[in-house]
Amino acid sequence: MYMSTISHDVPIGSGWRRSDGRVGLRNHVIAFSTVALTDRITSLAAARVKGVLPICPAFQRGLRGADAALQANMIKAVIAHPNVGAALIVTHDRAAAETLEADCLELGKPIIVLSLIAQAGMQSAQDAMVAHLQALKAEIAESPKTALHFSDLTVALECGGSDATSALAANPAIGRFVDRLIAAGGTAIVSETAEFLGGEAVIRAQSQSEAIAQDILGYLCIEEQMMRSDGTNYRGVNPTAENIEAGLSTLTEKTMGAFCKIGSNRFAGALPFGERPPVAGLHFMHTPFFSPTSLTGMVLGGAQISLFAMGVYNPSGMPLAPTVKICGNPKTLSNWPDGIDLDVSEIITGGSDYDDAANTILKLIGEIAGGKDTRAEEWREGQIIIPISQLPL
Amino acid sequence: MTKAKPSAALGARLSLQAHSRDNVATLLDAQLECATIASGLAIDRGIPFGHKVALCRIAKGSEVIKYGVVIGRATSAIRQGEHVHVHNIA
Repeated sequence: MYMSTISHDVPIGSGWRRSDGRVGLRNHVIAFSTVALTDRITSLAAARVKGVLPICPAFQRGLRGADAALQANMIKAVIAHPNVGAALIVTHDRAAAETLEADCLELGKPIIVLSLIAQAGMQSAQDAMVAHLQALKAEIAESPKTALHFSDLTVALECGGSDATSALAANPAIGRFVDRLIAAGGTAIVSETAEFLGGEAVIRAQSQSEAIAQDILGYLCIEEQMMRSDGTNYRGVNPTAENIEAGLSTLTEKTMGAFCKIGSNRFAGALPFGERPPVAGLHFMHTPFFSPTSLTGMVLGGAQISLFAMGVYNPSGMPLAPTVKICGNPKTLSNWPDGIDLDVSEIITGGSDYDDAANTILKLIGEIAGGKDTRAEEWREGQIIIPISQLPL
Repeated sequence: MTKAKPSAALGARLSLQAHSRDNVATLLDAQLECATIASGLAIDRGIPFGHKVALCRIAKGSEVIKYGVVIGRATSAIRQGEHVHVHNIA
């Protein structure tokens, strides 16, 4: 039924088409340190070349089992991300550099892998990195852009600093935009498993199949078992006394305040952390609730942009993808005007509605694809954090 | 579908029905002495900011719908215009 509305898949801006078919909204040259040992020297080199984006996520050695596999996959996902046009990849030893080089062979973008131990001296190593970054920057400076369609977009849906206004303005406004995105063949990812507890009936009603609903509910079950093993009874304490005073009557009502970001769409799949959606449509991703971590998962799963609903101010983001901060709280808007991209407070005061907000979000995404920086980009906000589950060796 | 536009008519409380299927609306101002919402519906006085009001009669045991989904059921009969909260839904 969703395919019938593909005719709305109009160009909404422009971007850079990569060899894997995905389209970037950014053409970043990244200086990517793949192990914490090289983070400092990589960030020093990146700071010397204007426009280079440093990615230094303090990745560890000695990770075990699923953690090791996750970190290795997330390194590949950073490099392959559509918003990355070229990459200097820094590691410590020669063997790691050889592995990374092999991983990057088929990415079809300019990549240089540098092993720190193969250099000689801190200054000389840094100068070599600067030279590589300048060469990469020159190499992609003239890369042509192509049209960006709705169906090229994967949008991460996030909320943080939630309050009563997020549930009535920013989140439902995002939901209305997502209705259009999905109808036009686009993709959206929503995450933070803990926030879905209490939304089980909605998950069943808004999944494309019973099997998809069961996949999502399976993740909720894992989350609740984890809480129980820590002695936490989430359902027993929610809604909290504070929520009740604010007018929330049931856990489902509280959950829906965040859940309404998905609009009236049905889930097309459930994804583990950082995994790419195999088909278009709305996807659930199993992530922790801390927003830099959940954004990391959704962006490394391929989101080129995120829509971030705020009540009180939340400065987080994910450096690889523009983060659009959307707020409906007049006090937050007045205190943090240089940290917010879109004011939806008029939904509350009566001056506009969800459709107006969805139109504005669409227009803003076009402008951002055209080069407009989001506030988080201006401030160089954002982190890459992956969820490690066991003590490293 | 949903027209979420709240109207700020003079002398009426600001309220928002998040979805066209909803049988409750959320009050978005602190005019606690005011007894109507913009649609003209008479409501109880004193319902706080962020709290819900019934847009129609909700029988005991019936669904309470917000955001187009069932957020709970009435634990007692709820009058049109009555405050909807933990005392009458679960």
